[in-house]
Amino acid sequence: MTVVKLQGVSRYFPVGNTPITALDKVDLTLEKGEFVVLRGASGSGKSTLLNLIGAMDDPNEGEVFIHGMALSSLSDKQKSQLRSHYIGFIFQSFNLIPVLTALENVQYPLSLQRVANKEGKYRAAQALEQVGLADFIHRRPNQLSGGQMQRVAIARALVTKPDIILADEPTANLDSETSKQIMDLLGSLNRNTGVTFLFATHHDFVLSRASRILELKDGHIVKDEPVQHLNLVNQIALGEEVG
Amino acid sequence: MLRLKLALLNVLRNGRRSFITLLAIQFGVISLILMGGFFTSMYEGMRENVIRSQLGHIQIYQAGFNQFGSQQPEDYLIDAETLHKVTKLVESLEQVELVTPRLNFTGLLTDGNRSLAVVVEGINPDKESLLSSAVKLTAGEDLFEEDTDGALIGDGLFKSLNLSIGASLTLMATTADGSFDARDVTAIGAISTGTREVDNRFMRMNLQHAQALMYTEGVTRLVVLLNDTKQTDEVMALLSQAFKKQGLALELRSWSDLADYYHEVVNLFDGIFFVVQIIVLAIVLLGIVNTMVMAVMERTQEIGTIRAIGGTRSEVMGLFISEAFILGLIGSLLGVIFAILLAQGITAAGIMMPTPPGSSQTYPIRIFTEADLLWQNGLFGLLIAVVSSIYPAVKASRMVITKALRFA
Ligand SMILES: Nc1ncnc2c1ncn2[C@@H]1O[C@H](COP(=O)(O)OP(=O)(O)OP(=O)(O)O)[C@@H](O)[C@H]1O
Ligand SMILES: [Mg+2]
Repeated sequence: MTVVKLQGVSRYFPVGNTPITALDKVDLTLEKGEFVVLRGASGSGKSTLLNLIGAMDDPNEGEVFIHGMALSSLSDKQKSQLRSHYIGFIFQSFNLIPVLTALENVQYPLSLQRVANKEGKYRAAQALEQVGLADFIHRRPNQLSGGQMQRVAIARALVTKPDIILADEPTANLDSETSKQIMDLLGSLNRNTGVTFLFATHHDFVLSRASRILELKDGHIVKDEPVQHLNLVNQIALGEEVG
Repeated sequence: MLRLKLALLNVLRNGRRSFITLLAIQFGVISLILMGGFFTSMYEGMRENVIRSQLGHIQIYQAGFNQFGSQQPEDYLIDAETLHKVTKLVESLEQVELVTPRLNFTGLLTDGNRSLAVVVEGINPDKESLLSSAVKLTAGEDLFEEDTDGALIGDGLFKSLNLSIGASLTLMATTADGSFDARDVTAIGAISTGTREVDNRFMRMNLQHAQALMYTEGVTRLVVLLNDTKQTDEVMALLSQAFKKQGLALELRSWSDLADYYHEVVNLFDGIFFVVQIIVLAIVLLGIVNTMVMAVMERTQEIGTIRAIGGTRSEVMGLFISEAFILGLIGSLLGVIFAILLAQGITAAGIMMPTPPGSSQTYPIRIFTEADLLWQNGLFGLLIAVVSSIYPAVKASRMVITKALRFA
């Protein structure tokens, strides 16, 4: 099943007189259950692509389809609802709401969908258990480590059962050990829930979990290859590259 | 539930800023309640003073008096028989405290050297002393029925004639049949109605004595005092109905019809109050808008996050408006409570006001905290808070999500 489809998508940013081309006529299709890693140097257009798929930004040319819906035909409110129901976000700096506990942070997207308080709490607690934070549900973000905060953010992205989770360098603020744990978690969530992941990074160790690798350069997709089943030796080797 | 809780937690989050916002709202609510309460007490003081020194609550005249009486007052007197009948009728109403006749005419008062035009009022001293409780005796003694030729002289008049208690004076007037007559009167006391204009040319004497001077048994008016000023309209209606039924050619005027000066002052001060309201509104509004805009800026990334994870624009707007609503509610409640306490404190302190213009009496500052004033200004405070959050809330809801998320 196709979750995301981009057709001839371009995005320019006006900087001075000559606009910067952040994405240039990109075509892309993401299928359900894929774990896609998006690579590319700084400034290659990774964040721009994620923002467009996340219905937070509009292309100058082309069309983005989520779940078969053309984003250009949606109102701001409809895009919000689309994000709420079909898309999950994981941010580099976690972006938890500081005054809310872990449980409340995870419940919040559900309450935006007007899910009843009791059910919301229950589902949030479940999601936190899935990310291994059952014992920390009543802590506030400032009482959690970076890795724990990112787990809360992952639970928050997961709790609405989205089709796709977009993660923009989610491990950039974490040490390598924690990063690997987070990657393992995302990998297993991908296998267990079937949610599609699109994951922007320039950490190479992430590649070991990928089912598909995209590489961006100057707004073009210069590489798009599926990852065959890697053997164990390869996985260890790739894992140690970073450690 | 959680969305409301978030608003509440956000209010508590920056204690100092919320405190300042609360102070601004309280400042507005308190100042308006104190000012409004002071004005209300002033209005009431003026009203009761004019009622209990001059007007009573209702005055009853011969039909036509108000239109033609100033030219020929002697043609529009209430005769003795009607007087008797009407007095009975009015006294039978439970709302009525008392009813008393007055005979008014102008005359010339002379001490042998100088003559001054005066407004004379013939009264029933026993009843009048109950009705005119706001008329103060500033020298000498009160008038009694036995003091056949005794007179109470307005204290301005008393001074300008350089009188002393017991002074003999002559009062001249045109009688009801058009001739001219004079009577001797004795100044037994000086009085003040609280209105300087009146006190400069006013005197009171026994009704019988005045009637004898005027060659009449009639009176100019009957003055009715009620148990409560609020009953005025009700009793006016009752009386005019009763008069019609009994075929009495009489007309009625309420204190409010007669108290032009009172209405002028009320209008003036209501205008002042309105201007102050606008000023307070502007101050509080700017104060809150400022702190709210700061809060929005500080939480830019959070706003981006809420929008990214599915919050609509109205969700973000609702969040900030709820926060303002919570602040407004707390601020207004505290404002109302503090205003009541302050009002009681100030009233209890008994601070004297300087003599108001046109008045000859001072009075202590009193601040009335009537329910209407409290809830109206409490609501006003709440509304200011909510209204001032609209601009920041709209600003927050219109943020470009990708930019907001990059904001650190
Ligand atoms: N809002 C913007 N205004 C102007 N230029 C922008 C804006 N957003 C992105 N760009 C430009 O578009 C290009 C792509 O940026 P983008 O953020 O997508 O890169 P990236 O691959 O995410 O980089 P990084 O790895 O540093 O996060 C860059 O040249 C960037 O400067
Ligand atoms: Mg980026």
